[in-house]
Formats: sequence, C-alpha cells, structure tokens
Amino acid sequence: MVLLAFLLGVGGTLLAQGKGVLNFGLSGNPDTLDPQKTAGTLTFQVLKSLYDTLVEPDTTGKIVPALAESWTVSPDGLIWTFKLRQNVVFHNGQLFTSKDVKATLDRIRDEATASPKKSDFNAIKEIRTPDPQTVVFILSAPYAPLLASLASGWGAILPSGLIEAGHNFASEPVGTGPFKFEKWVRDNKISMVRNDKYWMKDVPKLAKVEFQIIPERAVQVQGLMSGAIDAVEFVDPEDLPVLQQNPKVTIRKELTSLIMVMAMNCSREPLNDLRVRQAVNYAIDKQLVLDMAYGGGKVGSTFLDTGNAYYTDFSYLYPYNPDKAKQLLKEAGVGNKEFTIYVPQNYPLHVKAAELIQQMLEKVGMNVKLQLVDWSTWLSSVYTGGNYDFTVIGHTGKLDPDGTLAGYGTGKYVKWINATAAAKIKEAATISDFAARKKLYTDALEIMAKEVPFVYIGTSYRYVATRSNVVDFRMTPNLDSFDFRWTELK
Amino acid sequence: MFRKSQKVLFLLAVLYLLVLMTAAIAAPFVAPYKPTEQYLAKRFHAPSAENILGTDNFGRDILSRIIFGARSALIVGIVTVSIALSLGSAIGLLAGLGSRMLDNALMLLMDSLLSFPTILLAITVVSFLGYGLVQVMLALGIISSPVFARLIRAETLSIKTEGYIEAARALGTPPFKIVFKHIVPNLMGKVVVQCSLTFAQAVVIESSLSYLGVGTQPPAASWGLMLKDARNYLIQAPWMAVYPGLCLALTVLAFNIIGDSLAERLNPRLTGSS
Repeated sequence: MVLLAFLLGVGGTLLAQGKGVLNFGLSGNPDTLDPQKTAGTLTFQVLKSLYDTLVEPDTTGKIVPALAESWTVSPDGLIWTFKLRQNVVFHNGQLFTSKDVKATLDRIRDEATASPKKSDFNAIKEIRTPDPQTVVFILSAPYAPLLASLASGWGAILPSGLIEAGHNFASEPVGTGPFKFEKWVRDNKISMVRNDKYWMKDVPKLAKVEFQIIPERAVQVQGLMSGAIDAVEFVDPEDLPVLQQNPKVTIRKELTSLIMVMAMNCSREPLNDLRVRQAVNYAIDKQLVLDMAYGGGKVGSTFLDTGNAYYTDFSYLYPYNPDKAKQLLKEAGVGNKEFTIYVPQNYPLHVKAAELIQQMLEKVGMNVKLQLVDWSTWLSSVYTGGNYDFTVIGHTGKLDPDGTLAGYGTGKYVKWINATAAAKIKEAATISDFAARKKLYTDALEIMAKEVPFVYIGTSYRYVATRSNVVDFRMTPNLDSFDFRWTELK
Repeated sequence: MFRKSQKVLFLLAVLYLLVLMTAAIAAPFVAPYKPTEQYLAKRFHAPSAENILGTDNFGRDILSRIIFGARSALIVGIVTVSIALSLGSAIGLLAGLGSRMLDNALMLLMDSLLSFPTILLAITVVSFLGYGLVQVMLALGIISSPVFARLIRAETLSIKTEGYIEAARALGTPPFKIVFKHIVPNLMGKVVVQCSLTFAQAVVIESSLSYLGVGTQPPAASWGLMLKDARNYLIQAPWMAVYPGLCLALTVLAFNIIGDSLAERLNPRLTGSS
C-alpha cells in the first residue's frame, strides 16, 4: 500500500513536471527579450512563452481573460477596471499584484524606455491601484484599441521589484509565463524550462522548449525531416511537396492575418488617375498570384485581413478582366509610360508575386519593370520616402483594426487622400461597441475598396510543419504567434 | 603528349565559346521561347521534346533563359575586361614610366583596392550605384583594374631597361612613340592571358551578384539568377540548377583553358625550352 502510494506519488510528480523537449526552428535571433523595447514579430513569438498579458486573444482572435480575471469599461469609455487573478507568481518568486501592472505600464509610457509601442498607451491618463487585486485605468479620451494593446506582446507584465532595481530584461527576461528563461546562446538557441508554478492548471505539458536558430530554409526542412527539430515557425509553400511525402511530418494550414498588397503611389502621374488604378486591379488575377506566389489563400478586396471580424467583402468591384483594363488604360492615355515595381529582395515570395504581376500588367499593354531593393532601402526610400510607383508587400494584420487602418486617407505611403475615410477611421477608434465600430469601418473600407490605393491581393495561408508526434500545437493567428502551453510530445 | 592533349582542350574550349557566342548574339532567333514568357500551366516540367532542358517555377523555358543568360554573361565579361584593361593599363603605364612619387601613389591606390575581398567590394560598389547589370559591369571593371595595373607596371619596368628601349631613346624617339611602338606590343602576350582570366572571373562574379539579388534584375535571364531560383527547388526540379550551373562552369573552364594555353604559347621562355 505504502509502496503503491509512493509509486503513484512519483508518477504524479513526473507528470506534473512535464515531459519532453520541444525543439522549435526559428529563422533568426530576437532583437531583445525586453517586451517593451521591440516591435519585431519574431521576438514576440519567443516572448509569448515567457510573459503573460492582462488579457489575451484566443485562437479565434476573441480577447479573453489572462492575468486579469475580468474587466469592465464605464459607459463613457473612460474608466477601465480590471480584477486580477490571485496567487500568480513571477519566475523570481515575487507575487503578482496591481502594483506590477502599474509599474509595467508606467515603464512603457516613460520616455526613457523609448518603447516603439509607447503611443499605444497614450490614452491612459492615470493608473490607480485601489487594492492588490484591482487596477483602474483612467483615460483622457475613449480609446477602444487599448484592449488589443494590452493583449499584444508589448502588454507583457513585468515584476515591479525588478523594474525598480533597473533589471536588464533584454537578456534576462522574468515574467509569469508558462516557461522560465534558461539561456540564450546567440545565433544558436534560446532555451526555456517549464514554470512549475504556472497559474493555469496542468499546463504547460512540456518540460522544456528550445528555440533553435536556423536562418537557412533548407536546413530547417532537413532538420524537420531528420527529426532534429520538432516544429518550424513557417514552411515556404515551395517546400510543401517534399515535406508532404514524409510520413513523420504533419503540415497544418491556417489563414494568416497578413494583408498582401501591391501599393500604388497615388501622388504620381498617372497613378493619381483613378481609372489607371482600376485598370491595374482589373489586370491582375489575384487568386493566381496568391496560389503561385504565396501558397494559396483568400482573395482580398479591401485593406484588412480577410479573416478579420471587421472585414466586408467587396470583391465584386474589380474582378479579373484584362479587356476592361486595356480599355481603361486607353481612356486614361497611359501609353508607353514606364512603371517600376519595387520589391524587397529579402522576401522571395513578394519577388515571385511581383514577377507574376509584371507579366500580367505587360499583357494589358503596360510597360513595367522590376527593381529589387534591400530591406533598409525599402523602408527608407519606398515606405518612408514614397519613391516608387508600385511595391508588393505584406502588412501584418493587427489585433485591433485601428492598428491597420490608422492614418489611411491622410497620405501614408500610398499618398492617398480621402477626408471622409480618414474621419471615419478616426472616429471608430473612440467607440467600444462592436456593431457601431463595424459600421464606421465598413464605410471606410468601402471607400478604400472603390478608390483602390492598393491592389488587394488577399490573405495567404501559413503552413506550419511539425513532427507527427507533436500534439496540440496551437497558434494565435492574430498575434502571428504560437502557444506551447498545451503542446505535448507523444 | 602533354602538348597534344593541351591543344585538343584548347580547341574544344574555343569551339564551346564560339557556339556560346553565336547563340548569345543570335539569341532571339535561336531561343525556342521568349526568356521571360511565363507558361503557368507548365511549371516544373522535366526536360522533354517541347522544352529540351525543362521549365522553371514560372513555366519559363530553361534553354531560352540559358541562351539569353549567355548574353548578359558575355556582355559583362567584355565590358568588364574593357574597363579594367583601359583603366589598368593607363595606370600601369603611368606608374611604370612616371616618377617614383607617382608610382608609389598609384600603386598604393591599387593595392588598397586589391586588399578587399572581390565580392564584398562589388556588393559595396553596387549598393552605392544601385542594383542592375550596368552597375555590376562598372563595379567589376573598377575592381579588376588593379590586376592589370600591377601586371603592366611590372612588365613596363622590366622592358624599360631593355637595350632596344635605351637605343630608341638614344636615337631621340619621343616617349609617346616608345610606349606604343616598343612597350605595348611587348606587353600584349601577358595582357591577353590576363584578359581571359578576368573575363572568367567577371562571369562568375556577375552570377554571384545576381544570385545574391544585386545583379541582373528579374525577370531578365542571368545564370546566377536562375541558380538563385533553382536553389529552392533542388529536390523537386534539379534541372533548374543543373543546366545553368553547367553552362557557368563550362564557360569559366573554357576561358581558363584558353588563358593557360595562351600563357604557355606566348611565354618566350616556355616556347624556347620545348
């Protein structure tokens, strides 16, 4: 009896400590491990396992409680009250209270932190902590996107004690997350071990996660086939045939939150002529571009990811119609004018899409050439400088539509001016009610769909590959991230 | 025995290059398809009667792309060698015949250019000038000039002290005439050899730069660019990599064989001893 109890006890402990090491292939180093000092998607993919946020998106994008058990917003949208979870401890042993929330948000709002996401929290005028389990945000104006910011990677809660001590989170992250940071060998791997005191019951199930830094695509694929790595963050559609033939590899397909577009510079002749932009839209077979370059997906019709709750379909506006395109180009008198498509050469999928588009535009009689640029040139000259005719690029969908749409209609890099759309987008950010917001966004998106400052290619699928013994590998598409809490190795 | 096989190789190399050049010049008539025309229904077709060397990821004909790619490879070679030769010989002659100070200054400049790894320097120059074939040729021409400058300077220095030059000088021949009548013809042998080596190097570097995305811009055909695309489909469509790679290797080999054979033939000491 005693022996049995002992054995059960041992068994129980083993189970509780989790088992298995997940080797995850990551394509590069994070820039930092301090969630308040970065905007990099890849960085947040790593941080997701180390830190928690007050609220978080579930796999469908709905925002659900995390470190906060519940929250209320006052009718005027100015007072947000969060009830915090009890008995949550940081990796260093400190108990989580409202003081940590205040210290964390004060840190990101501090000029000295120089967070690229500081402006997300500009609406907060004051943070009150009436008791250890309650935190109240007083806003200077209603700002609905705040909830999404709190659910994003940069809303990660840090321990107040270490903040005061000026701890270096960039290389030694400490949070409440499901895994504890162990070490980061740059250009090699980041390892983290199970947080035995995690606030959620029975998770995480793994004993350890190792992010193996493998920049070369072919090496990732080889690693997956040989079993050296268990999962990779992203499989290029071109590698699918090889991986699909391997019985030990499972491929999962998910709709991303990416918005693939070809932006058009509306301030340049003759692209300032709506007819020319319409012609370009008619000339491009978007489904074909999605299938050939991006590995399939859903065709877009306006500037939002097609899976978004605020998305409305306007694809009836500009179906593929090369004859119509030719006619419009003739009317607008475009003639033999040369256009250049600028593409960042570090994104081979965009380069491929641009090659397809170039050919489609030539078929309707346009004179189009391709120019590859490096990423820093793209950012400074094309995106910031506006020196381009066309550029093929993907926008990462944001948890809140304001993150995607803010500023459009007033210029941005497409130089598209429309006061009505701009006003609607601005107003929508002040409203918390979903239906009322959706109405405003739909109006704005319809204008964007009709005036076409972009060719809306669509939202692509993401292929994630794991070894077949990896179970419950979850993704949070709206954060473009992974959730290892429920993952197991069978 | 050795010399005979050398001769056969030399003839084969010349023959190969002649075929390549003819194809490149007559590309629009020789190539079965347009090199940039996409046939999306025929992606990744293996070599067949329709597409002798197969098709690529856009269904483009690989043979046609290789033929048009030969054009850019050969143009790059010719232009690079011309720039490097004119720049290099001007500097080399000046250094060889000029004052000690001028010699030192020019050689310092050339050595500092030589001290950089070629590809790195090429990428640097191209990032300043912008991506594209013309920029690549300019960059390569400048980068290859020190080799010519060094070679010509060294030869000039040794020829300068020969008896016949002193005689010419004693007879009152103007320096300009000495250079073109006596020095330049004596340099020719080694310079021609160097030209063929630089040509081969230029072809490789153009391909490397295109492979890295800073050379020839898509959708234009270039062997390096074809290899870059092929890298992603090595298992699925190996012919995409094999044929442009083979052409590149053979072209470089041909130029090197010609260079070696010429070096042997034109070197007075070697011919004398056989």
